[in-house]
Amino acid sequence: MTDELSYSDSERIDNLIERERSPHREPSVRITGLMVQYYHVCRRELWFMSRGIDIDRGAANIRRGSYVDEHSYRNKRRSFSIDGRISLDLLDDGDVMEVKVSSALEEPPRMQLLYYLWYLDRIHEVEKSGVLAYPKERSRESIALTEDTALEVEETLRGIIDTVEADSPPDLEKKPYCHSCLYQDICWL
Amino acid sequence: MPQDNHHIFADGKLSRSEDTLRIDTLAGEMKHLPVESVGTLYLHGQIDFNTRTLGLLNDYGTTVHVFGWNDYYKGSYLPKRQHQSGNTVVEQVRAYDDQDRRMPIARSMIQASMHNMRSNLKYYDTRDHEFGDAIERIEQQQELVADIADIQELRGAEATARKAYYGCFDDVLRDPFELSRREYNPPSNETNALISFLNAMVYTTCVSAIRKTALDPTIGYVHEPGDRRFTLSLDIADIFKPILADRVLFRLVNRRQLNLDDFERELEGCLLNEGGRLTVLEAYEETLDETVAHPRLNRNVSYKTLVQTDVYSLKKHILTGEPYRPTERWW
Repeated sequence: MTDELSYSDSERIDNLIERERSPHREPSVRITGLMVQYYHVCRRELWFMSRGIDIDRGAANIRRGSYVDEHSYRNKRRSFSIDGRISLDLLDDGDVMEVKVSSALEEPPRMQLLYYLWYLDRIHEVEKSGVLAYPKERSRESIALTEDTALEVEETLRGIIDTVEADSPPDLEKKPYCHSCLYQDICWL
Repeated sequence: MPQDNHHIFADGKLSRSEDTLRIDTLAGEMKHLPVESVGTLYLHGQIDFNTRTLGLLNDYGTTVHVFGWNDYYKGSYLPKRQHQSGNTVVEQVRAYDDQDRRMPIARSMIQASMHNMRSNLKYYDTRDHEFGDAIERIEQQQELVADIADIQELRGAEATARKAYYGCFDDVLRDPFELSRREYNPPSNETNALISFLNAMVYTTCVSAIRKTALDPTIGYVHEPGDRRFTLSLDIADIFKPILADRVLFRLVNRRQLNLDDFERELEGCLLNEGGRLTVLEAYEETLDETVAHPRLNRNVSYKTLVQTDVYSLKKHILTGEPYRPTERWW
């Protein structure tokens, strides 16, 4: 797969990859899977999170998410943390699995999983395919890194770097899911 | 969401029992307190506890406020921080150290405090009291604040407004309660004792709210960090005293829920006795749970949540430059 994929010709992405590969150099922005997800949910949320602006971790939907993650398919998958950057679950058959409570938002978890695949491929030269699982809905979806999706990931990464490096958070924007966001008390005050 | 406050008045022993809290009183009673539902624990009696208990409180992020003889606030056991954020503390100190950043924060805090004092007077002004002069004096100070560039002067304006405000208390309060003048250490009469006790409760409420963020409670903007107490808590408490303490005071006295038997006079001072403290705390806790519709959050929030969101708003301002909107009574 790797040989057939052609990636974008972007200096910033090349720079990121070079620094991620080198044992002693840190990229200017350490991009985690959660950041990729947040970028596609709400850039303002991403900015707050990147600045250590805290939320109440005891909130009900965080606990629910952790519970579903901890109790689903546990006999079939194992968790790995890679470079402190991404933490993913590998299934027995070698696929990368991402478990979510609900499929209400499609794009954010899809991009998170694609980032894991991109990271494995581009930084560690390991080819994997992915499975997005919604145990409560008893459904799964296969996700693969292709030329198109790899370009999407890289566009996301550039967007994340721009967002996080900005001095102030992106402007307020009312979204349909603001009411269930953990940052709403910070955003709208 | 903020969790409940629990008050323990009994003398006895607090311990860890399996994964929850247990209190054994000297009177021979035993009770379990589900630790995950206790947001803040107030110890008013003589309580023994050990490090195992503190470990449990730590795991659940529960703050403990300890009160000593005659319910003087002694101090707090603060759990290990859940949120470590060097970035936040650095920015908090920078904002303190830079006059151009400190003054606007301090000004908004003082403005909010004056607004809330004035709002209480206006409420009673429409109910057969004549507080026009005092309201005007507070408004004069509010106008001055915009142009004040010096923190001492700002505190002076606040003191002038507060004096006009306290000057109205005797008129609001039903006999035999009177303030005459604000005195503490020790409070000189029943009203002073009530104000001191309620203010201490507001202060601890603010300590708990600040603890839920990565802000450093010792660095305030109106008060100087040289004080022995948490100066940021003092700053925030001043905003909320008219809302949380003074209204409760007026209500308790005027509905005759308290009388002179609820106090004890000794050593030339005056303090609430245990029965009085129970009455006051019950009213205070009820007030914390009262809710109002929040215009920007689009939902009902309790007064206790307002303290928390005030702290969030300050933190957001410090880190992003977006406006700090201290709580000014809008309802």
